[in-house]
Amino acid sequence: MTTLFRAFGWLILLAGLAPLLMAVWVSFSPDSFLTPPVEAWSLKWYRRFADDSRWTAAAGRSLVVAVLSSGACVGLALLAVVSNRTGNRLLLPPAVLPPVAIGLGLLPALQRVGLWGTLGSVIVVHTAMGLPVAYLLFRSWAGERLAELELAARGLGANRWAVFLRVTLPVLRPAILAAVVVQFVLSWNEALVTVFLTTSKSETLPVVMWSQLRGSASPLVAVAAVVSATAGLVAVAVIARAFRRRG
Amino acid sequence: MNRLATLPAVALAVGVTAAPLLFLLRVSLYESGGPRGFYTPDTVTLSHYAALAEAPILFTVAFALAVAVASTLFGLALAAFVESLTPGRQWLAIGLLLAPKLAGALTTVFGLQRLLPRGTVAALIAEVTFVLPYAVLVIALRLRGIPPDLRSAARGLGATRRHVFRRVTLPLAAPAVLLAFQLSLAWGLGAFVGPLFLAGPGESTLGTQIQSHTAELRWPVAAAEGVLLLLLTAMVFALPRRRGHE
Repeated sequence: MTTLFRAFGWLILLAGLAPLLMAVWVSFSPDSFLTPPVEAWSLKWYRRFADDSRWTAAAGRSLVVAVLSSGACVGLALLAVVSNRTGNRLLLPPAVLPPVAIGLGLLPALQRVGLWGTLGSVIVVHTAMGLPVAYLLFRSWAGERLAELELAARGLGANRWAVFLRVTLPVLRPAILAAVVVQFVLSWNEALVTVFLTTSKSETLPVVMWSQLRGSASPLVAVAAVVSATAGLVAVAVIARAFRRRG
Repeated sequence: MNRLATLPAVALAVGVTAAPLLFLLRVSLYESGGPRGFYTPDTVTLSHYAALAEAPILFTVAFALAVAVASTLFGLALAAFVESLTPGRQWLAIGLLLAPKLAGALTTVFGLQRLLPRGTVAALIAEVTFVLPYAVLVIALRLRGIPPDLRSAARGLGATRRHVFRRVTLPLAAPAVLLAFQLSLAWGLGAFVGPLFLAGPGESTLGTQIQSHTAELRWPVAAAEGVLLLLLTAMVFALPRRRGHE
């Protein structure tokens, strides 16, 4: 029973990798069909991707958005968790509302203030969408323990800044790293809301993928999928290593 | 630390949620057409709400229920599986669990397009892939909080493993299982990437309708559908919740 159960567990988890592996396989195709290569493999489509300014510009924008929004998001969530540990439910709505409704509502809202189609608006929206995740990560990591440690440090005569720098930050450090990485990946891959926010001048990598997924997709999309996925998988490795070191 | 420090985060989270909700409501009441094709300013009509009778509500709800049931059952099984592993292997399992999520939804969609024939099943598999990691994590965190003594005590009193799971583990994990179901149901209602790229022709959810009506510049129609989607989502969270001691 237990052996069978575990075999089933690993099987389900491995099955989740199948779509990703398929994308990797197709990306090495030597011709323009979306069939996975068997005999001849080639890097042709990777070169095409690197030479295509629409894809590279989009990937560059995605990088800028992911870096800035993960920094902003984690900074703001840190401020929130440090100043108010009783829990702040107001940070949570972006996580539970349907992205398609948020995206559609943001479209006229941003047009009204003249910011629609700007990269800045994408960064702000991604930051807000990441807040619940970062905040919950900090809370679940710190729990009650952090408050007790801070109180103890205060009792021993440390001022607020000393407590923040010498207690809060070191205790939260693994969670901060995790939050930065998670938000980077979420922003890097975000498409559901972003398709409503961007024009051809501000489209991000997932948005270009979105436009190519219907109809005549070429192995270029497979390359884009691999580029998207690589960021996420590197992130998993970084987090896993950081947490394992802590034990 | 100053309590005001929480303000920027709250302002941003509330602003980015409240502003679209207000605009959604207002746009849904405009008449269609107009000079820019999106909507006619300074008009008020309820006609788009009347037209909601033809929206794919039943299919959306059925699809969301299927996503939620599958995610919760698989989530429970996988959470129990992860809990039964040694710590080193737990990290491997969680890494594998998160891999499709972190590889990106569109990568999963692209792969599934190559692997499965178009249809409801493919769309369902895609959405379950997106939601499952959250369901597993919510339930696994709860399972971890159950003292192992309880299980060994039950075993010592002669209960079989299955009995322990049904009579001890499951009742204690119930609040988390319910929360996982609610979250998956809410996300399932908003599903549109899976149905858009993987479902067969004619199988549309509220999400795909909203997207296509927006693309066709019929914003008021899309907005009314968006309001309906939000109401359905709100109903999910208004469901009675059994409180666990947190």
